[in-house]
Amino acid sequence: MYKDILQGIDHIAVWPIISFSIFFIFFICLLWWVFSADKTYIQKMKGLPFEDESEPTGGWPWRKVLVLFLFLMPGSELMAQETSDQSFWIDPFNNPMMPLYVTTTLVFVTLVLVMVVAVYMLKVLNMFVHQAEKERAEKLGMTYVPSVSWWTKFWDQFNASVPLEQEKDIDLGHEFDGIRELDNHLPPWWKGLFYGSMVWAVIYMAIYHFMGSMPLSGAEYENDVALAAEQLRAYRASQPVTVIDENTLTYTKEEAFITNGKKVFMSNNCGSCHRNDGGGNAIGPNLTDMFWIHGGDIRTIFTTIKSGVVEKGMPAWGKVMSPSDVRDVTFFVMSLQGSNPDGAKAPQGKEYVPPVEETADSIKRVGDR
Amino acid sequence: MELDKFSYDNKIVKAFIIATVIFGLVGMLVGLTAAIQLFYPIVNFDLPYTTFGRIRPLHTNAIIFAFVGNAMFAGVYYSMQRLLKTRMFSDGLSWIHFWGWQSIIVAAAITLPLGFTTSKEYAELEWPIDIAITLIWVVFGWNMIGTILRRRERHMYVAIWFYIATFVTVAVLHVVNSFAVPVTWMKSYSFYAGVQDALVQWWYGHNAVAFFLTTPFLGLMYYFLPKAANRPVYSYRLSIVHFWSLIFIYIWAGPHHLLYTALPDWAQSLGTVFSIMLIAPSWGGMLNGLMTLRGAWDRVRENPVLKFMVVAVTAYGMATLEGPLLSLKNINAITHFTDWIVAHVHVGGLGWNGFLIFGILYWVVPRMWATNLYSTRLANVHFWLGTLGIIFYALPMYVAGVVQSLMWKEFNPEGFLVYKNFLETTIQIIPLYMLRAVGGALYLTGAIIMTYNLIKTANAGKFIANEPAEASPLAVVPKVASGGWHHQVMESKPVLFTVLTFVAILIGGIVEIVPTFLIRSNVPTIAAVTPYTPLELHGRDIFIREGCVNCHTQMVRPFRSETERYGEYSKAGEFVYDHPFLWGSKRTGPDLHRTSGKYSDSWHYNHMLAPDAVSTGSIMPPYPWLFEQTIDLDETAGKISALRKVGVPYPDGYEGQANEDLMKQAKNMTENLGMEGIEVIPESEIIALIAYLQRLGKDIKAEKVAEK
Repeated sequence: MYKDILQGIDHIAVWPIISFSIFFIFFICLLWWVFSADKTYIQKMKGLPFEDESEPTGGWPWRKVLVLFLFLMPGSELMAQETSDQSFWIDPFNNPMMPLYVTTTLVFVTLVLVMVVAVYMLKVLNMFVHQAEKERAEKLGMTYVPSVSWWTKFWDQFNASVPLEQEKDIDLGHEFDGIRELDNHLPPWWKGLFYGSMVWAVIYMAIYHFMGSMPLSGAEYENDVALAAEQLRAYRASQPVTVIDENTLTYTKEEAFITNGKKVFMSNNCGSCHRNDGGGNAIGPNLTDMFWIHGGDIRTIFTTIKSGVVEKGMPAWGKVMSPSDVRDVTFFVMSLQGSNPDGAKAPQGKEYVPPVEETADSIKRVGDR
Repeated sequence: MELDKFSYDNKIVKAFIIATVIFGLVGMLVGLTAAIQLFYPIVNFDLPYTTFGRIRPLHTNAIIFAFVGNAMFAGVYYSMQRLLKTRMFSDGLSWIHFWGWQSIIVAAAITLPLGFTTSKEYAELEWPIDIAITLIWVVFGWNMIGTILRRRERHMYVAIWFYIATFVTVAVLHVVNSFAVPVTWMKSYSFYAGVQDALVQWWYGHNAVAFFLTTPFLGLMYYFLPKAANRPVYSYRLSIVHFWSLIFIYIWAGPHHLLYTALPDWAQSLGTVFSIMLIAPSWGGMLNGLMTLRGAWDRVRENPVLKFMVVAVTAYGMATLEGPLLSLKNINAITHFTDWIVAHVHVGGLGWNGFLIFGILYWVVPRMWATNLYSTRLANVHFWLGTLGIIFYALPMYVAGVVQSLMWKEFNPEGFLVYKNFLETTIQIIPLYMLRAVGGALYLTGAIIMTYNLIKTANAGKFIANEPAEASPLAVVPKVASGGWHHQVMESKPVLFTVLTFVAILIGGIVEIVPTFLIRSNVPTIAAVTPYTPLELHGRDIFIREGCVNCHTQMVRPFRSETERYGEYSKAGEFVYDHPFLWGSKRTGPDLHRTSGKYSDSWHYNHMLAPDAVSTGSIMPPYPWLFEQTIDLDETAGKISALRKVGVPYPDGYEGQANEDLMKQAKNMTENLGMEGIEVIPESEIIALIAYLQRLGKDIKAEKVAEK
């Protein structure tokens, strides 16, 4: 019979392990390749014509096969929009990276399944071998002693355990409600772990508290702040100088500024006091009318945002955002002028009438909308 | 020799089992409710009693003391009688213990939703209940020691060692941590303040995990696992080594809950190194459990009892490796205050405690009712639902913890925080909160299936109230100890054993706590820090009552990302009048220690009324009742004198003047609010709460101004 042929081979159990290992390594390599592959390279591969005229007939079109294997996916839009920087989770289903992710997930799942199946096959094979050995032993009229697997041998040695068969030798003779106790050694690796952790503890205390060669939390903080200051200095030196001077700032209806200003306004929850449309609520004033508590000229709005009015609950945003963000929020707030949202708060403060020259320039145009 | 005939008391075990199952279901249901509230805040139905801040402690107390506690007692009463070959010392004490413990649970279930809390985690119950716990615990200990002294077995088995350690240590922890000065019947102030209170609390909190959730369950494992597997315990000497090292080292590790806080650095470092040294002793328990299954693994596949136990012991090993790793400063810097910690405790709670309890119940119920388990298939379904539940619970929480923490810490190149608005980081992880609730629901479903299965099993069998047994009486002359083990001598001397255990668990606590109290440099004083005004004090008590500390910390750690977000990092000297401390352990919302002056009174007013309307997407529940209820001015004097007793320097006779000051401060606030169109009476609770919030961190700001 087939299984007799199999079990006649020496160390048959090793072969599935080897083949499984090869399989496993192959999949790891494949996964690594997929994740690390240069996208332009994949693009190029994708662009290869399926019927390659230049390929000599009969030649192995490995590249096509590989591409097909990797990207069995609907649509041909795969990498067309890969440069767009939109976040994947905004619209995962239409995202160009979706097929790639789905495929790699499938490959991964397959890998896991293959592992499970391989392990199971191994077990089945092992069982066959044992069964056959048992039958043979019975035929010969000998008592069957199952051979100990290499894993059990390794594991026993690793833990310094007395093998199961010799368990009786280390039975301590204690008996508590039927529970007996063995006298196995402490696993050597466990002892090593324990001693190692003690040595580590002593070294740790010495380094931090007796030698002072590592910073404690306070010093760590100071170092961190100093490092950040240094990095910031380097960063600023590498950037073009953009000084935003509130005294000379003039309002322009530039789209980029206002869009960014709106983004900053929304993400910092300015709406919690001023409403998302600037109409104001029980806490903060209406930003869309001509009336201002602290003044409505661009310079005052800028400084109100930057330095805050802490006693009235307006935080100093200049401490947590860049001057350009403050400018953009200023512009965004000014762009709200005259938008008259529903249910806006009643006017508070003094009416601000822009001077003539400024009116001509910008405010008027916004107000006219 | 003639055999003594006696019987084991199964009735008390049955009572504790029923309580375990009922409170388990209740505790899990409350937990699931709390989990759902984190994405649908409306699930508190706008009732004060069901807000997250009040039911989160209800959940933790129900699970720890009602579910796990009752299971512990059931297991201890079952195994101890059999291991010592005797009936419990006194049936009367057993039943006092049972009914006393259930009354405490009921008292907790009533007082916690009513807002009676000390705010100290896992020790929230107020002082009269604390006294009741002490008495009942003494009854338990008395009954246990009595049983041990009446034993018919010369030596005490390893399970009994763990039970002794549990009794002794929990008693010490509970008494020391619960020291408080009563103000009224249901209000007290912790005896300790600030840093010292924090250290005592986490010495307690950590060791509540160690000696309420771990040591008794190791004891149960040592009885039920070998019984269920019918295998000898793997290594007796491993039992000895890991028992003593575990109880000695565990007690030191408490400060790892306070890394990067205002706790002195030396205490933090001790917490770290002892946590690392704890890996091996903990794993000793796991190894002895798993290796006991050698030669029985083929049965693990078919037997749900063993399956539950294997996962439990594995979860124990994983959680006790994860814990020490979380105690490393660089890992703690990322994980502390996040959902990672929530995941970590649930691997322990759902995996280790929960699964071991399920395994024990499936094993013990058929035996006590002399029948077979009603359905092995249902037990297997329970097993897989529970396992899936743990995975669905833990994985999203790991991801949530890391995502949120990294968002807190992210700077842009210009040196500003990328996510300045804390809320952004919370909203990001809400889908993960939903997945977590799915995990919890799966786990609860499994527990319901188990309940059905156990009821069916019991109905099919006949309960054996008194199980007959026989054993020879203890010989007068002790047998010669086998193997020449010195430890064997100790096992036959329970009093000596108990004393040695007591010494082992005291050392760590004494070395850490005493210097923190006595050496002044550990808490450097700050001149600008003054006691709370009477109005702020009332506000603080409302903060405690509403359980705000469950989601908001008051501890700005020395990280650039935190000083940038919140302001100056917290100093030990700022908390000297904080009875109790309110540092918190989880940031579902932002830290509040530097709230003073950050927002206007009107912002707080509107925010407390409708958080979502002020901060779109906020998952904080509204607190409308704070606007209707008024503070009790009659209590002011009592609060002042109670705090003076624990060392807060209010001038003599200030009690008489306190309410006048209170009204002055409150009226000042209401007038200002009135100018912004908000009409509110000065005695309303919201005014006191706002006054407290506006005080937080103010002293050190004043000092900064003075320095300039």
